[in-house]
Amino acid sequence: MSSLFDILSVMILLSSFVLMANKRIKSYIKTFRIQSLLIAIVAGILGIQLIINEGRVDVLIVCIIIVLLKVIYIPNLLRRTYLGVEHRVEKDFIWNIPILVLICCGLVVFIYFSITAIEGISEDISTIQLVNSVSVVLIGLFFMISRKKAIGLIIGFLELENGIFVTAMFATDGMPFIVDLGIFIDMLTAVMIMGVMVFRISDKFDTINIDELNKLKG
Amino acid sequence: MTYIIYIIVQIMIMLLLAPLINGIIKKIKAFTQKRTGPPILQMYYDLFKLIRKNSVVSEASSWIYKAAPYIVFSTSLTAALLVPVTIKLVPSFNISGDFVIFVSILALGRFFMMAAGLDTGSTFGGMGSSREAMISSLAEPSILVCLFTAGLIAGSTSLDQMMMFMQAKGQGIILMNPAIILLFLALLTIIIMETARIPIDDPSTHLELTMVHEAMILEYSGRHLALMEYGAAIKQLIFITLLVNLLLPHDQFIGAAGLGGILISLLIYFLKVIVITVVIALIEINTVKLRLFSIPNLAALSFILSFLAFLQYFLLGGGYVQLI
Repeated sequence: MSSLFDILSVMILLSSFVLMANKRIKSYIKTFRIQSLLIAIVAGILGIQLIINEGRVDVLIVCIIIVLLKVIYIPNLLRRTYLGVEHRVEKDFIWNIPILVLICCGLVVFIYFSITAIEGISEDISTIQLVNSVSVVLIGLFFMISRKKAIGLIIGFLELENGIFVTAMFATDGMPFIVDLGIFIDMLTAVMIMGVMVFRISDKFDTINIDELNKLKG
Repeated sequence: MTYIIYIIVQIMIMLLLAPLINGIIKKIKAFTQKRTGPPILQMYYDLFKLIRKNSVVSEASSWIYKAAPYIVFSTSLTAALLVPVTIKLVPSFNISGDFVIFVSILALGRFFMMAAGLDTGSTFGGMGSSREAMISSLAEPSILVCLFTAGLIAGSTSLDQMMMFMQAKGQGIILMNPAIILLFLALLTIIIMETARIPIDDPSTHLELTMVHEAMILEYSGRHLALMEYGAAIKQLIFITLLVNLLLPHDQFIGAAGLGGILISLLIYFLKVIVITVVIALIEINTVKLRLFSIPNLAALSFILSFLAFLQYFLLGGGYVQLI
C-alpha cells in the first residue's frame, strides 16, 4: 500500500510542476482541480484504511469535504470570478517558464537535503512521500511569487494549502478532525474574500495585474 | 550464429513494421474526422513506388545532398540493432554499444539531415534545419537523463541489459514504481518530440510555413525521398520499441523456450507497439500544434519528468523498492 502512496505523492508533485508550466488562468484552474482530486484520492484510501483498522470515520468525511470544496466549489468560484473581470491575454509570469520550472527542480533538491538531514523521523514515514509533499508547499509559495495576476496568487495559496494538508496526511494519518474543519472554513472565507477583492481591484485599476497596484491612483 | 539470426530478425522486423505505424496513426486520425482515409498499407505502396523512380538532384548541391539519404537510413538501421525487439533472441554475449552510442548514432543521422536541408540553399530547407537544430538540442538532455536514470536503476548502460533487469523485476504488467512511471511519461514526450508528431510538428503538412521535418526533405524526390521517409519511420519505431520493451516488459510471462517462445514474444511485442501507436494517435488528435516558441516549455517539462525520476530513485535510497 505504501508504494501506491509513493506513486500518488509523485503525481501530486508532478501536478504542481504542470501548474507551474501553465500559461493561462483557465488551465491553472483545471490543473488545480486535478491536483485536488489526487489529494482527495489519497484521503479516500487513507480513510477507508482507517475505518477498517481503527474505526475512525473522520478522514473519510474530510475526503468528502475536499471533493465538495476543492474539486467542485472553489474552482467554479474562481472561474466565475475570472469570467467576471475584464481580462486580456498577456504575460503573467516574471521569468520564462523553463527557468521557473528549473528553479522548482532546485527547490525539490533543497527539500530532499533538508528532510534527510532531520534526525528522529519515525521509521514508518516514507521519505519519498514527505519530500514530495513538502516540495508542493514550497512550489506553491514560489507560484505565488512568480505570477502577476491576482487569480494566480489565489491558486498559489490554495496549492500551498494542498501541500500542507497532504504532508499532514502522509506524516500523521491526518490532523484531528476539528483542526481540519477549521482550516477548511478559513480557506473558504479567504478565497471568497479574495474573489471579492479581485473584483474590487479590477474595478479600480481596470486590470487584475498586481504590478499596477504600485502606481498611485487618486 | 545467434548473433547473425539476431541481426536478421531485428532488421526484418524494423523494416517490415515501421511503415505500418504511420498507416495506423493516419487511419485513426481519419476515423475521428469521419473520413475513410488512406489504407493502412499506404506507406508501403508509396515507398515501393518511390524506390523505383529516379531522383532529381539540384545542380547547386554538393555531395552531402546525395549522401544524406543513405546516411540517414543506415544510421536508423544501425541504431535499431541496439534496441532488441525481444529479449529471447539476444545473444548471450553483450551487444556492443550502450545508450550513449545509441543517442549519438541517431544524432549523426539527424546532423546529415540538417546539413542536407541547408545544402541546396532553399529558404524552406534552411528554416527547417534551424528549427530541427533547436528542437533536437532541447530534446537531447531529456533523453540522456532519462536513459541514464534507467541505467542507474538497472546498473548497466547497455540497453539490452537494462531490459533484462526490468524484466526480472517486473511482476505486474506495468512496473508500479514512481521512478518508472515518470520515466514512462518522459519517454512518451520524447517520442513526440523526436518523431515530429503534432504538438511539435505536423507530419501531414506540406508546403506550409510551420513545417519542420517536411521542410528539410522538401527538395528530395524519388529514391532519395523514399530512404529519408523510411529512415524517419524506422527511427519512430525504435523509440516506441525502447518504450515498450524497457518500461513495459513482457518476456517474463512466457515460459516456453525455443521457437514457440520467440514467436509468442514477438506477437506480444507487436500488440504493445500497436497500443502505444494508438496512444500517440490519441495524443495527436487531442492536441493542437504548439507555437515554435512554446516548444521549450514542453521540452522543459519532459526534462523535469526525467530529472524527477532520477531524484525519486535517490529518494528510494538508491535501491529498488518492492513492486506491487
